[in-house]
Amino acid sequence: MGKTTLFNSLCGVHQHTGNYPGVTVDIKEGNRQINDHSLIVSDLPGTYSLSAFTPDEQVARDALLTSNPDAVVQIIDATNIERNLFLTTQMMEIGIPMIIALNMSDLADEQGITIDAECLEKNLKIPVVRIVARTGEGIDTLVENIIRVTGQKTRATHKEIEYPHSVTNYIGEIGNYLSSHASLLGKLSPHYAAIRLMEGDEHLEKMLHDQGLVIPFIDKSDPAERDGIAEDILLARYRTAEEITTCAVKCTMGQVLPADLIDQVLTHRFYGIPIFLACMWFAFQVTFSASNPFLVGIEYIFGYFTELMNEVEMDPFIQSFLSDGVIGGVGSVFVFVPSIFVMFLLLSILEDTGYLARAAFVMDRLMHSIGLHGRSFIPFLIGFGCNVPAIMATRTLQSKADRIITIITIPFMSCAARLPVYVLFAGVFFGAAAGNVIFFLYVLGIFVAIVTALIFRRLVFKDEPSPFIMELPPYRKPSGFAAATHMWHKGREYLKRAGIVIFGGVLLVWALATLPAGVEYGSVDSLAGIIGQALHPVFAPLEFNWQLVVGLIFGFIAKEVVVGSLGTLYGGEEMLESSLAADPTLSPIIALAFMVFVLLYLPCVAALGVIRQEMGNWKWTGIAIGWGIFMAYIFAYLVLHIGSLFIGV
Amino acid sequence: MVPLSLLKTGDKVVVRSICGTGHLAKTLGQLGIIIGIELTIIQKAKESVIIRIGESRYALGPGAASMVLVEPQI
Repeated sequence: MGKTTLFNSLCGVHQHTGNYPGVTVDIKEGNRQINDHSLIVSDLPGTYSLSAFTPDEQVARDALLTSNPDAVVQIIDATNIERNLFLTTQMMEIGIPMIIALNMSDLADEQGITIDAECLEKNLKIPVVRIVARTGEGIDTLVENIIRVTGQKTRATHKEIEYPHSVTNYIGEIGNYLSSHASLLGKLSPHYAAIRLMEGDEHLEKMLHDQGLVIPFIDKSDPAERDGIAEDILLARYRTAEEITTCAVKCTMGQVLPADLIDQVLTHRFYGIPIFLACMWFAFQVTFSASNPFLVGIEYIFGYFTELMNEVEMDPFIQSFLSDGVIGGVGSVFVFVPSIFVMFLLLSILEDTGYLARAAFVMDRLMHSIGLHGRSFIPFLIGFGCNVPAIMATRTLQSKADRIITIITIPFMSCAARLPVYVLFAGVFFGAAAGNVIFFLYVLGIFVAIVTALIFRRLVFKDEPSPFIMELPPYRKPSGFAAATHMWHKGREYLKRAGIVIFGGVLLVWALATLPAGVEYGSVDSLAGIIGQALHPVFAPLEFNWQLVVGLIFGFIAKEVVVGSLGTLYGGEEMLESSLAADPTLSPIIALAFMVFVLLYLPCVAALGVIRQEMGNWKWTGIAIGWGIFMAYIFAYLVLHIGSLFIGV
Repeated sequence: MVPLSLLKTGDKVVVRSICGTGHLAKTLGQLGIIIGIELTIIQKAKESVIIRIGESRYALGPGAASMVLVEPQI
């Protein structure tokens, strides 16, 4: 809670964020210059323990254990100290100097929770600073403390947790044993490594084992005994957290909490789902109506530039490059920016209020019945905006099977980039029924996702989705500023990732449509035409003409490029609608089959890159791609042939 | 002792046992769902529950809820 907000105010204007490639979750890094001190700040994924069952927690753990920071700032939610202190009890044993930032102390005051920070500080032997990350209160004091603490050259001594005698003996024994093999431990102290081994850190155990180190106790003892010790350690940590909380926190409020009542309504077994659907409906309405004015404005501006370009006297080749390639390309990227930004804004507001976690609970039963985990539902929701962050969001899933199935099904969620294709074709061929056609496509996407999930769960993984356990964050009033910042970061990430790819893609289409030199722009003789002709037979059963085939090929770069490339192939985007309507090789039912194909066939290059990254191997990436094309072909074929019965060709 | 999945909204209970070991049991432990802790059931939808421990709330699906054996408080 408030981690990223603090990060932003710490790094201020100097902030530069870089994503670490290769690792699963982003660790953001920034810096701050204070007098002659230069701080490098890393924003780690949030976690409540160092046990690391999910990939995002693993990243946090690895950063703490192996990157050897000068100090760690733990942000503790002042309204829920005991819960957060559990992580403190885990971190203070590492030996890295710690500082606790007690966030949202203003909210704690409101709720009648009084915190004795000095008592906390004395008991933990860790400096405690009150901050309000939202307003920037207390940040200066925090920075002073960070500088002071990082200046200490000795290993930090924090409060020691009192374990039962038997446990202490084991830790001592194993610690002594490990001291003689300290080189294998990397940055870990033997004492701390011993504790982690007793806690059941399989990762560390495997690492030592791979290096040929056999730890006498761990190899011989039976699992039950080890589980017992792990539990003793857990209990000792909780006891410590509880004792410190009891001494430092006084709660003056009564027992009835309004949040309980809100939860009872929002997650009700009957009203829960209707409330959720209403929220989603509202969110979609807002996304489309709020982004519309921006959309019109952007189209106007780019139209103006194109005209301007055409009036200027210059070499026709360069003119074509500038107006069709550059302006057309940039324009086709920018048109989607407003809806994507609004989408991210709404999602972050929903997340901020704490509702999204409740929605996952409400949807768990439904998701479970189609073989998915309740948490998969949030990636799906994000997928309607853009598949790329959606696929990244699957990191919060624990089981590998859950993650693979979710990643394979996400591309069937019709992302914002596919919408322009529907708008174009449905508008031209279905007129007033366009809205219904587009709705049908969204529903079809969800239907294919369900079928896919069922097939993979029943036939490939054959186990149950892992049980649903999720922390429900406290309800909060969403802060407009925080949501806007969040939107900006997410949107910018999207722009950077997608923008370059889409822009490059449009330029590539332009080049293929112009070359070889001298051919008529976008004609059968151009490179694009030749490629389309060559692949045309494959799509003959679907009755797509070569222009559509070329559109599909370029749609792999990004789905919205389909519209742009058809625009160039049909000779200018302004005339595209009339050209399509006049093309004798097209009909409403072919258009529908084409839209279905575009919906299902391939994730775009950016999404594909993320799928590869999250799957971790090419095998599952290949399966995901192959499955999509297979589904697209089957459903487009079905639509074409079943649809013909109703509409007539 | 009864599994958490069999109680009703508003019940206050004490955890007496966690069935099984492995990741799931450990996850429950990390969340503070440990033997002897008192918790309140604030929502019950079929066999899924939302529980409150102090100021923390957790949603447990049917699989997880049936692993937690509790004793109702009067």
